[in-house]
Amino acid sequence: MSATVTEAPIALKKNYLSALKEALFEEMAGNADMICMGEDIGLLGGAFGVTEGLQKEFGAHRVMDMPISEAAIIGASVGAALNGKTVMAEMQFIDFISCGFDQIVNMMATYHYRTAGEVNLPIVVRGPAGAYGGGALYHSQMNEAWFCHSPGLKVVCPSTPYDAKGMMKAALRDGNPVLFYEIKELYRKREIEEELPVDDYIVPLGKAAIRREGKDVTFVSYGQNVYHCLEAATQLAEEGITAEVIDIRSLVPLDEETIVNSIAKTNRVVVVNEAPMTCGFAGELVARISDSAFEYLDAPPVRVTRMDTPVPWAKPLETYVLPSVDKIVTAAKRVVKF
Amino acid sequence: MSSTSGSATADKPKSEDSSVPQRPSEALSKDECLELFRLLYLARYFDVRLIKEKKRGRLRGTLYSSHNQEAVLVGSLFGLQANDWISPIHRDMPAFFLKDIRAGWRNPERKGMSIEEVCCQVWGKVGSPGRARDNWSHIGKRDAKIIHSTSMLAGTIPVAAGVVLADKLNGGNSVVLTFNGEGSTAQGIFHEAINFAAVHKLPVITIVENNQWAYGTPTELEYSLPDFARRADGYGIPGLIADGQDVFDVYDKVMQAVEYARAGNGPSIVECKTFRAYGHGDHDDDRAVRYREPDQVEKGRERDPIAVCRKKLIEKGYLKGEAAKKFFAEGKNAAEVTDEDFPPEVVEYLKEGIEFALKSPVPDEAEGAMWVFKENA
Repeated sequence: MSATVTEAPIALKKNYLSALKEALFEEMAGNADMICMGEDIGLLGGAFGVTEGLQKEFGAHRVMDMPISEAAIIGASVGAALNGKTVMAEMQFIDFISCGFDQIVNMMATYHYRTAGEVNLPIVVRGPAGAYGGGALYHSQMNEAWFCHSPGLKVVCPSTPYDAKGMMKAALRDGNPVLFYEIKELYRKREIEEELPVDDYIVPLGKAAIRREGKDVTFVSYGQNVYHCLEAATQLAEEGITAEVIDIRSLVPLDEETIVNSIAKTNRVVVVNEAPMTCGFAGELVARISDSAFEYLDAPPVRVTRMDTPVPWAKPLETYVLPSVDKIVTAAKRVVKF
Repeated sequence: MSSTSGSATADKPKSEDSSVPQRPSEALSKDECLELFRLLYLARYFDVRLIKEKKRGRLRGTLYSSHNQEAVLVGSLFGLQANDWISPIHRDMPAFFLKDIRAGWRNPERKGMSIEEVCCQVWGKVGSPGRARDNWSHIGKRDAKIIHSTSMLAGTIPVAAGVVLADKLNGGNSVVLTFNGEGSTAQGIFHEAINFAAVHKLPVITIVENNQWAYGTPTELEYSLPDFARRADGYGIPGLIADGQDVFDVYDKVMQAVEYARAGNGPSIVECKTFRAYGHGDHDDDRAVRYREPDQVEKGRERDPIAVCRKKLIEKGYLKGEAAKKFFAEGKNAAEVTDEDFPPEVVEYLKEGIEFALKSPVPDEAEGAMWVFKENA
């Protein structure tokens, strides 16, 4: 033991946004071939501030303010990546990703396949996603299912600061194009702030996390719906129903094993997702569960999703169409009583 | 930089003109001029030979003939350096072997595809750099600096911009030529990508192969400019017009744009005016004779690039006597030409490629599910 008395460093809790920012700073510092492209990410530091200070630290040649064209951002990212760069491409809102759709699904997603492995693209396309904040139709979307349906893209969505940082670092080192869904309602949410490791770490893509253990019903979810599930579990516990909450974290690749193992224990499952129901990822989860865990099920799997509507603006309208703690509790009781 | 061929274009201020020679083709040696001529034959022979193979039912997919447009490919690729990039599209199949061909037709080190690789691609064999996973011109090769295209028109322009951005960040001075039909210029990404390249002065040269027809739609229904090159005004970049039937004029205009870009001045648009000889693809040949007026087709094809080049070489005194009268491939359809209409080394070169492809294996079926993701240890 050292004779010197040193003050223990004051561990600072970090929010989800700071965690992302740390990941970007550390990866930029550690990888001289990494660049960032996006609208307003340099001078302004990003609409939400995820890239604040990044251009000052690494220069305008590595942190580029792009004209308002998601397609050009994605396309240029593909070109730079095929020529040796690692690229972070920011979508100012994930809703705007539709403007770059062709470049993502036809150009970026297929490159490794088309070239028989000659080219791989280390690109992270990231941006703020999700509803519940009054963003209305074009600042509330969860459109991840579009990209899960395009082979060649990894799709992830962290729900905690620890995961946000660890998964961002993993995504930037993955070597494949990764669509990184950040939940903007979690960016500065005080309740989920946490201390982050001082040393470098990653959270591997494709590994689910069990956020709460239970034996009567399994909730499968990701993003901010994980917190709705946790709250529902707390309420259900008062009525003697214990729910296990799984945060899948990564949609593609998917950790089916953790889901199946949980259902083998609980025999019941509710899948919760704020995207619309039809052809949403909740439907894919239910299909996988039917394939792999049918023999364990004592009740039909149930989905709690947004209604098949856009996300409306006025608060009562928004609340009406989105998943909620109440809707999850109701669904859980239904499957438990089945 | 300035343009010829009459029409107004977006020229750069005079102060930037002086360093760029207006007629770089005048510096080409006799051998180089004769090589340009030979490459026109090579591109033409490749095309007519594949048309024949396709008609005999030996090839899958669709052939997009480059017949009558060979001067655009040969003229724009001839002056590139080995480390320059290109992104060809569907009608540019010869571009894959024409790139860096000055380093030697059979030079395995050259930054282009060998004729064997190109033939393997056309025949769907594993010897293709993409192992025949996508068809025909949807091929590329990173080591050869050839960018892989998709069917989404103009979609490779932003990719090309990203590629040279990376080179620029690494201290390189490569340029990229992107090839596009005039029809693709209506796409939003055409504008978005060139605007980005212009803002960052990236060395992206957009070749517009204006062959007057976008599948079944004439140019006047694609854009409302008298000369497409004027679109460049909107980006604050030079727009040049080349006679797409004249390999020397194409070479001159593209080299002006290349030197301008290499000096750090940024992108240009080079409109090459040409004419599509046949239908959009071979599936369309029969219908194309119905939607295009016969006299328009006749007029569009009367200046065959081989004939135009022959005339210039005779004028320069590089082709004389018997040599000037040999190998009359010009003005003939695929059904009308024979191997005797081409220089024997051209016929031999393609023969080697085809024989290699025919002997090559098709991919194992299980490869269909491979390489979706890069596997990480």
